[in-house]
Amino acid sequence: MPGNRAGMPALGAHAAVHEVVACDRRAPNPGIAVVGFYAPALAHSALPGQFVMAVTPSGERVATALGIYEAQDERISLMLAVVGARTQELAMLEPGARVALVGPLGNGFDLDALGDDVALVAGGVGIASLLLPAIRLRERGARVQLYYGARTAGALVDAERFTSIGASVSVATDDGSRGHHGYVTDLLAREWRAHESIAACGPSPMLRAIGRFAAARGVRAALSLEETFACGVGACWGCVVPLDRASAQAPAFPQPAPGERREYVHARICREGPVFWSDELRW
Amino acid sequence: MVTRAAGPDISVRIAGLTLSVPTLMGSGCYGSGEEYAPLVDLALLGGIVLKSVTRLPRLGNDAPRLVPVPSGLLNAIGLQNPGIDAYLATDVAKFADRPCAVIGSVAGFSVEDYADVSARLAARDEIDAIELNISCPNVGTEGETFACDPALAERATAAARAVTRKPLIVKLSPNVTDIALIARVVEAAGADALAVINTVRGMSIDVDRAVPRLGNGSGGLSGAAIRPIAVLAVWEVARAVRIPIVGQGGIETARDALEFILAGASAVSIGTGNFTDPRAPLVVADGLRAYLSERGIASLAEIVGRANPGYLGPR
Repeated sequence: MPGNRAGMPALGAHAAVHEVVACDRRAPNPGIAVVGFYAPALAHSALPGQFVMAVTPSGERVATALGIYEAQDERISLMLAVVGARTQELAMLEPGARVALVGPLGNGFDLDALGDDVALVAGGVGIASLLLPAIRLRERGARVQLYYGARTAGALVDAERFTSIGASVSVATDDGSRGHHGYVTDLLAREWRAHESIAACGPSPMLRAIGRFAAARGVRAALSLEETFACGVGACWGCVVPLDRASAQAPAFPQPAPGERREYVHARICREGPVFWSDELRW
Repeated sequence: MVTRAAGPDISVRIAGLTLSVPTLMGSGCYGSGEEYAPLVDLALLGGIVLKSVTRLPRLGNDAPRLVPVPSGLLNAIGLQNPGIDAYLATDVAKFADRPCAVIGSVAGFSVEDYADVSARLAARDEIDAIELNISCPNVGTEGETFACDPALAERATAAARAVTRKPLIVKLSPNVTDIALIARVVEAAGADALAVINTVRGMSIDVDRAVPRLGNGSGGLSGAAIRPIAVLAVWEVARAVRIPIVGQGGIETARDALEFILAGASAVSIGTGNFTDPRAPLVVADGLRAYLSERGIASLAEIVGRANPGYLGPR
């Protein structure tokens, strides 16, 4: 196919519909599932921070967008919060069950730009999008500290995966049942030690707070945004975020019509993102 | 990737366009086609209806623009697009070697908009036909005005007809009292075919925050939730006009598509179904061939309108 609009990223060269087989599953706690798939092509091509759209066997109306949690050898896994019929269906996949995963999609984290000392900040199942970046950053010799917040101690899952690769881990819980009693953003401020950059995934209020914090500290924060996707490939323009008109990417998007007083453009989270630099967003 | 299966003839001719398979990809759901090219062999599609373009650039509505609802999807994108100038320079240019039919979609806020944008789009060799989107529910009351007022629907259609000889498809709104009346008026004004239906207006409210969930407040409902509404609309329009109908609204499988075809649609369009599974159009095409071959029917054209005793059929 011919190229894209000037300045817009191409869909990843490896993106495809992969018919894959579930091979394992576990439930680190009752509300979270990690489902593994035999998916060699995805495992080889997935970049840290990319996602897939899962086409469930029952064919629910909208496929489910999920960050790629693990990708090693010929297996990938997805971590999901079990919140509705679709995620329930994925969480209950028996080994051997076939599903289609569309991906890998999205831009992922720019590890070069994150540098040699990175603060990872996870809120809840946002942790799912940060393990692969942590692994790849550690492989490059970067220092990695994970700041990890959840509602309760039981909702903190797999923190030991990060310590096992040599990352430091600090945790916060809303109820104080483990670690800092309060928000992970408060923990970040309290324990901050001149990291070079921040990479974060979690609920929007947390990401906004991290953006403000990063600006105050003079570092850049790469935020992986969560949103409802319909197509996942940039076709429907349903998952937009306001991007500052001064940002480098902005000229590629429809500009305000003459007389329209808006100082932003709309970028697609599924295509230009899901990872954006906080200083480029106007949200 | 699903590949083409051998079987009966499911090609169709609508409005002077020959489609090797009777499946169009609905406007706004398939971008400009390139978004899906890595996932689906576009040569296995009948055609792509491009995202609607307007005279001026549009930022579109503020987020959130999507709300999944039971059996469907509410959207309020608000016609985000770069405007016809940038669109012709960058978007249309990629279809020189188009693998399937490419239909440009025109939206507007005045009769002059429809005429100007249709003329400029239709002048391009890369565009096989024009779809007139007179039924976008997500741009205040302006967008849908044309599909809901017979006099305006007639004027917009006539204005586009006057500027191009390429096939002209007019997309109708279900949000009217009598869709057959609008269909007749649009036919008389020179439309070559009708797209039936656009989304059904709807709203979802966040009861915790006590505000509408969509940034725009109201939106357009698509998906399986609207299929019976759409099938009836096709049924009624098929008894009123003698131009082909492209049926659409919640089609995900061949049996869904067959409901529309048996009601009187010569072809179908798949929109939200692509979000459920990008392979949906290929599954639909394979299923249509299987349906025909199981019954010993040589071509799809034979069964168009078969369930509808009042079906008039294209001239």
